[in-house]
Amino acid sequence: MSSDTSSDNEDDKDTASKSRGNLAEDETLDWLKPRALLVPEDQEDVPEAELDEEIGRFLTTINPQWVADEVAYHYGQAKFVVKPKPTFGKAYPLYIYQGTAIRKDSDEAKAQIAAGYGKVGFDDAGPKRAKAKKSTTELEEEEEPEADAPPTEENKAEEDVPDEEKANEVGGEDHEATQADTAADEETEAVADEGAEEQVPEDEGGGGESQVEEVIEIKPRVKKLANQFNFCERAALTYNFPKRSVDTQTVPPPRANFGATCLQSIIFDFYQEDYARKQREKEEEKPKRLRKKTAKHVKSAQQIHDEQLAQRIREAWTILERLVNQNIFDEIAQDYRYWDDPSDEFREGMGSLLPLWKFQFEPMRSHAVCDVQWNPHYQDLFAVAYGSLDFTQQQKEGCLCLYSIKNPAFPEYSIITESPIICLDVYKETPYLICIGRYDGNVCVYNAQLTLESSYQYKSDSVRDKHSNIVWEIKWGARMIDGEASFFSISGDGRVVQWAVMPGELQATTIITLQSNVPPIPGPDGTLLTVNSCGSCICFHPEKADIFMVGTEDGMIHTCSLKYNRNYVRSVQGHHMPVYRIHYNNYNNSIYASCSGDWRVKIWEDGRDEPLFMFELGSPVGDVKWAPYSSTVFAACTADGKVYVYDLNVNKYRPICVQAVVSKKTKKLTRVDFNPRLPVIVCGDTKGTCHVVKLSPNLRVMCKPPKKAQVADQRTLQIMKLDKLLSLVRDPPFQTGVVDEKFDDD
Amino acid sequence: MANEAEETVRKLAMHKGVVGVIIVNGEGIPIKTTLENHVSVQYAGLMSALVDKAKSVVRDLDPSNDLTFLRIRSKKSEVMVAPDKDFILIVVQNPVE
Repeated sequence: MSSDTSSDNEDDKDTASKSRGNLAEDETLDWLKPRALLVPEDQEDVPEAELDEEIGRFLTTINPQWVADEVAYHYGQAKFVVKPKPTFGKAYPLYIYQGTAIRKDSDEAKAQIAAGYGKVGFDDAGPKRAKAKKSTTELEEEEEPEADAPPTEENKAEEDVPDEEKANEVGGEDHEATQADTAADEETEAVADEGAEEQVPEDEGGGGESQVEEVIEIKPRVKKLANQFNFCERAALTYNFPKRSVDTQTVPPPRANFGATCLQSIIFDFYQEDYARKQREKEEEKPKRLRKKTAKHVKSAQQIHDEQLAQRIREAWTILERLVNQNIFDEIAQDYRYWDDPSDEFREGMGSLLPLWKFQFEPMRSHAVCDVQWNPHYQDLFAVAYGSLDFTQQQKEGCLCLYSIKNPAFPEYSIITESPIICLDVYKETPYLICIGRYDGNVCVYNAQLTLESSYQYKSDSVRDKHSNIVWEIKWGARMIDGEASFFSISGDGRVVQWAVMPGELQATTIITLQSNVPPIPGPDGTLLTVNSCGSCICFHPEKADIFMVGTEDGMIHTCSLKYNRNYVRSVQGHHMPVYRIHYNNYNNSIYASCSGDWRVKIWEDGRDEPLFMFELGSPVGDVKWAPYSSTVFAACTADGKVYVYDLNVNKYRPICVQAVVSKKTKKLTRVDFNPRLPVIVCGDTKGTCHVVKLSPNLRVMCKPPKKAQVADQRTLQIMKLDKLLSLVRDPPFQTGVVDEKFDDD
Repeated sequence: MANEAEETVRKLAMHKGVVGVIIVNGEGIPIKTTLENHVSVQYAGLMSALVDKAKSVVRDLDPSNDLTFLRIRSKKSEVMVAPDKDFILIVVQNPVE
């Protein structure tokens, strides 16, 4: 019985809800239908007059259009069912409050009552409001759970209303208890309903009560309706919104590949940099007064960098050139260093010369080497003066070159002069200062430290005080009293001039004018012209700075002093032809050698009119030099291209070495010079080539210390050796015998 | 300076057996050469790498030390390299018979 009613109610609910849904749809589509005026057939015929009759219109609260009971066909049930009430006519809801009360006589209420919820005092909001609620979809939703509730109620009664059920369970199936409960419910509901709508519940209350009572009988357990004091919590799952991922791509940030290696040295460098920076910062903290000085330096930092770079490049080039040369001239270098002629051992007292490098400067092929001198400071460096000794076809220009034996291909320093250079001298104190004497009578001082573009540092005044003839020899002298460097030049005009190197200029002083024995020649207008003898070479005493010797073109050797400018200290007729060189012995200051165009080399002792030794070489002798390593060795070079080396200790009459360095047909040797430290000599020829030759071991025999005096060093031994030799030569008062012997031998 | 460099290159190239002279700037680009272009580029690239490596070897053994020169002898020729932080000078020389 109870189940039937409940199922009926359910059916009702279903139909109601369904029809309501249909209706709602219809209503929404109402406006689409054409508003055709349909006249029913049983339309009452109304006369025109009545139609025309004016009918007053009245505003009323009753909606005349409103159909109270509307039915619709329910296909499911196959019958007409009452359509749920549509919306409230012309009334417009201004405020809707969702109440919890429903009409007692509504289907819903009946269902609830049937399900055993409340009874008489059931809350009812009145017909209109209930209808408004129903029309809204919200109500539908609200109702559905209630509609669902009854079938589940039996099964899940205890769960649905936990609080109450507990109470009920305690009570068990006690009728009284349930009745008391329901009574209490009634009372509370009744209290709540008291007010405006009291009548309505009363009207239908009887039916409701009777029903409830019936229900109660059937169903002992009455379920209480939820209100604010008696409610149940329901959890509902909201819609699970479908997941979707939203992502955007930004412009990728710029990327760069960076690679670096971290090495110990790099770390070290960074520490160094950091240290330098800290030092700089410290500097900057100094007071401004001190900083100003540094500011000037900062300005030229770029320049400093450039200069350093240029210097580094220059050095790198130089070394590269050296490397290249080392490769090219490797064999020669090996020979120079290690090859000693083994045949010397079997040729007692004879030696040989090993030709090593040849130095040539391309633009100076047709020039003659007029002077050559090793640098006193750098053992591998020598200076060459290019001029010309062919005076009928004199060259237009000359050249000063500095060669290093490390670089035979090109001169380290070369400078072209506008006049051929005849002589040069390297200043011992500052070995980069070189004074030169030129064919046109001028003297210049060059600074080899300056770049190649720069010209001479000093030059004699071409008008006032230059020589009027070729400058044949030039020699640096001692410093003057006020500290200026000075040099002396001797020229074909018969003057010896001292040049003081003043700041910016050369100051000339004529020391002596060489007079000749030729009596004054009567000039064209009766005046008498004194003829100077032409100076050809000059040589300073190694110790007495004011004593010097000059050789002249007529073969005289004059000893002069700076203190006398008119007379000679001594005068010797040394040769019959121009004297080309006078050179003091390196160990004995009173011994000197001279050479001349009369083919002879003579060894002199101060104070003697006759030479100690005299050697005839069969050709004009261009140069003679004492060896720096031995007191008795000297070398001479001749115009037929031979180099003669003598060791008076070994052989007083013959050279211990004669070697043709150049072919005598085409070339002549002009000058020769011993390297102050290395066992090599350099000699220049008339075709602009300098030959460096190595002395074989026999040519550089050192003194063996005698057994008696072990302490003696090489220098004193050399002096002793020369003294011993001299005593032998000197003893007979007449020395020409030696010379005669020599001639006899030849 | 420029003239001086030209002069130096000319002088070096005139030496016996010198095949070529290459000046490489700090970035490893040959800026002056007496060889053909592609050969110079190859030399410059390879030598820069070698110089870097050699320098790091020297510097790593003793950070206060530095590489100054490099010569590479091969069967056919000898390459001489003057490395610097701002330039590299390369000279290729064939041995003298």
